[in-house]
Amino acid sequence: MNLFHRPASAIATAPLLAVELGLALAAAPLFGRIAAWVVALFFATCGARLLMNRRGARLPSLPLKVGLFGAGAGGIALTYGTALGLEPGLSIILLLVALKLLETNTVRDFQVVALLGFFLALCDLFFTQSFGMWLGVAVIVALLTAALVHFHRGKDAGGFRGAARRSGVLLLQALPIIVLLFIFFPRSRQQFLLQFSQPLPGTGGMSDSLSPGSIASLALGKELVFRAEFPDGHAPSMSAMYWRAGVLWRGDGLTWWRGPRMDAQLRTGQFAGAGVRQKITVQPHGAHWLYALDRPTSEGLRGAHLEPGGFLSSERPLLKQMQYEVISRPENREVTLPAVQRQQAAVKPSRISPHVQTLVNNWRTAHPGDRELVDAALHYFRNERFTYTLDPGTYPEADALDEFLFERRAGFCEHYAAAFATLMRVAGIPSRVVIGYHGGEYNALGKYVIVRQSDAHAWCEVWIKGEGWERVDPTEMIAPDRLSSGLDSFLETRAAAAPNAAQPSAAATGWRELRRELRLAWDSVNYQWDLRILGFDEDRQRTFLTTLGLGGFGWVEMLLWAAIVLALLLGSLGLWQRRSGRPPLDEAGRAYARFCRTLAAAGLVREPCEGPHRFGERAAAHFAAHAAAIREITALYARLRYAAAAPPAAAFIRAVRGLPALSGSPRKK
Amino acid sequence: MPPRDSATRSRVWVLPNRNTIGLAAVLIAMWYAGASQTNGAAYLLAFVLASVAAVSIVHAWANLRGVTITADPIAPVFAGEELRITLVAASDRNRTHCAVTVRAAGAAECAQFGEIGPGGVQRARLAVPAVRRGCFASLPLRAASIFPLGFFTARRALLLRQPYCVYPKPEGSRPLPRALAPTREPRDGQRVEGDDFGGVRTWQTGESQRHIDWKAAARGQPLLIKQWTGEADEILHLDWHALAPLEDEARLSQLARWVIAAERGGANYGLRLPGAAFAPARGEPHYHACLRALAQFESADEIPPR
Repeated sequence: MNLFHRPASAIATAPLLAVELGLALAAAPLFGRIAAWVVALFFATCGARLLMNRRGARLPSLPLKVGLFGAGAGGIALTYGTALGLEPGLSIILLLVALKLLETNTVRDFQVVALLGFFLALCDLFFTQSFGMWLGVAVIVALLTAALVHFHRGKDAGGFRGAARRSGVLLLQALPIIVLLFIFFPRSRQQFLLQFSQPLPGTGGMSDSLSPGSIASLALGKELVFRAEFPDGHAPSMSAMYWRAGVLWRGDGLTWWRGPRMDAQLRTGQFAGAGVRQKITVQPHGAHWLYALDRPTSEGLRGAHLEPGGFLSSERPLLKQMQYEVISRPENREVTLPAVQRQQAAVKPSRISPHVQTLVNNWRTAHPGDRELVDAALHYFRNERFTYTLDPGTYPEADALDEFLFERRAGFCEHYAAAFATLMRVAGIPSRVVIGYHGGEYNALGKYVIVRQSDAHAWCEVWIKGEGWERVDPTEMIAPDRLSSGLDSFLETRAAAAPNAAQPSAAATGWRELRRELRLAWDSVNYQWDLRILGFDEDRQRTFLTTLGLGGFGWVEMLLWAAIVLALLLGSLGLWQRRSGRPPLDEAGRAYARFCRTLAAAGLVREPCEGPHRFGERAAAHFAAHAAAIREITALYARLRYAAAAPPAAAFIRAVRGLPALSGSPRKK
Repeated sequence: MPPRDSATRSRVWVLPNRNTIGLAAVLIAMWYAGASQTNGAAYLLAFVLASVAAVSIVHAWANLRGVTITADPIAPVFAGEELRITLVAASDRNRTHCAVTVRAAGAAECAQFGEIGPGGVQRARLAVPAVRRGCFASLPLRAASIFPLGFFTARRALLLRQPYCVYPKPEGSRPLPRALAPTREPRDGQRVEGDDFGGVRTWQTGESQRHIDWKAAARGQPLLIKQWTGEADEILHLDWHALAPLEDEARLSQLARWVIAAERGGANYGLRLPGAAFAPARGEPHYHACLRALAQFESADEIPPR
């Protein structure tokens, strides 16, 4: 059987190279998302096809292609154990694109390959919609467009630059249509029968329980969690920014968890204290976590609940970015503790060691009042040489609390918060652990706060009779710098303070500062992208159209208007093209146009298809007094235009200028 | 610049083609991803692709519209052969035009123009089958281009204002009529012995290849035919009426064949048709005048009886 047939000759190398570059750029982000060997195979195919073009090699025949596809699909099925799902599906698509590339030999093949490139760019956007990725997609679109233009120019066309320029013109002219489509194209929110299986966002993030090391592992991550704006301009100080994410009611030593669900008993009516309004944009995480400054209220809250314990939770799992506004009132306190909460907050640990019991008993005998006891416990943490570290080592399951309190005395914020809350429970003071984030990085350019996983934090709340829940952050006692300046700079400062650390030079500090500025500038661009482009959904569109005065429009009318506007835009573009397609007039042409205008002013208009000679004769007959001058002008013009060796235009121009204004009413014959 | 009026400026239509289906499929996939995943970036990509494709419609239109297509003079051919047309495409003075194809209505072969720079001119060959005999003032053609992106085809009907003639197909088995003043036996297609060599002339399509000067052709010269003088006293009368039992078209074909044979034989020949007569003569102008008359002949049947 002949495995190779037609020679690869029909596609010129330059457009092939351009389209392959676009395809390779589109396939590159799939590295790490799908089986690496499929992507590598794809790149190899790109190279092979280019070489085949160079050498005029023969293209694979159908049986060979079927064999290759079978082998590839088999490999993919083996890699994933299934052929269904997003990753195997994308692998198969990439395999098909590679095969299509291999057989590409006609105009239609090339067209299909370019379209597949656009489709691969879409696949990239399944994984991340970030601005950076979109810039990459824009480059891919430009490359593929230029490749198509270059291909269709034909084989004897000039260099790639002409094609690049033309595709640039196409993209620029498309810009207003893109903007109009973006604003007016109806966004639907209905459920579809067939859902694209969506890649779940990274599961890294908060969890419903707290165990030694769980926050420390989060704190190593740099991923963005959310961004917060303060629309009223009142941003609290960094050290006062306690972002609440969840409340843990049940604990046992160093391990705490959420406990049974409680019915929402939301306080309505009066809210005490000043409010801080926040506009928060949360990155998707696949769960229900939402964040707000201590203590959120339910005023004007949409798409989220206020849970018992005073934290937010979204109605649906966050599969895409979500934005909400919330008002927090740091001074707002509950006055009474509902019975079910009091009961939950008083459950003592299952096993209390004698050592711990003695410690707490000593505090209690010295301080009968709850507040004094809390202060004594904080004192204990401050004075007993506890250390704050990201890497305290693992604690044994059984005697974690004792080992932490009396032996190692090293831990991260979750150790302190959990230990403190447990000690309070032993002392009979209702307590709970709050998990969330602390502080963040202020972006002065965009005037918002960036909160990352490294800002993860846990603290404690105790119920003081008559005053309500009060925040107690034992970490503040052990590492006050951690809370005032953030984890990163805390770790850096500590590293610099180590005896063998080298002092950074002024240049290094300046360079770091510049990098920080650039990073923040890039982040604010990303934030605007998230907010204005990705966040432009059905609601936002409706609001925007209402501000334009088009609020009452149904989507049918909107489509209709979009079509009309599109037609008008394309029509005007066509008119402009037509206009600019007309050759410009040269000196003689302009002079002849002036001659025609002079005659037209006197009532004799040149017909659309009337040649200069016939028109000259007609004019000479009409204006008998100037017949000689008109004939001379016409003859000179004809010689200028049609003679083999054209005379200089000066004489002609002089003759036209010499023609006087003709009388308004031509003499009748 | 070639005269702009030689081809009519007809309307340019931009229509979807096979590639448009692929484009629509990819756009729908993008829209679907955008709508079902509420993926704003996918929406934006769909908008970019749709807008670029929409703008490419205008570019396709302007690309074809700005090209003026004329032709060099077209040599006459016999029916059944191909008209060999040299098309001339002229570009606007300040615009580049690309990849215009021109074909006769319904024909598969086409002339392909490449990139024509601003104010540039490009020639391309087009072979159009000559089916019907006759002399025509213009030739209807179709121009098309899928430039710049290939997702749409711009089409335009073209009327090529270039007169051309298609002579009747030389056919028929009747022998040449006898010469009127037969000083010698005329032998069709045969060299007459003892004659003086009278020079050469170029070979015409449809003539026998027997008299071609192959030695000259081997030297790279055009195909030439050796002629002999001394045959001027021979006069052939080629008469329409002598072919009475034949159909009109068959008669024209037979006459065409006789004209070719007589011209090749070097005899003086006259042609008589209903409504037209050519006095005996020979040589290129006479030869073409006779064939032209045959091409233009209008059958008596087509004249409605009074």
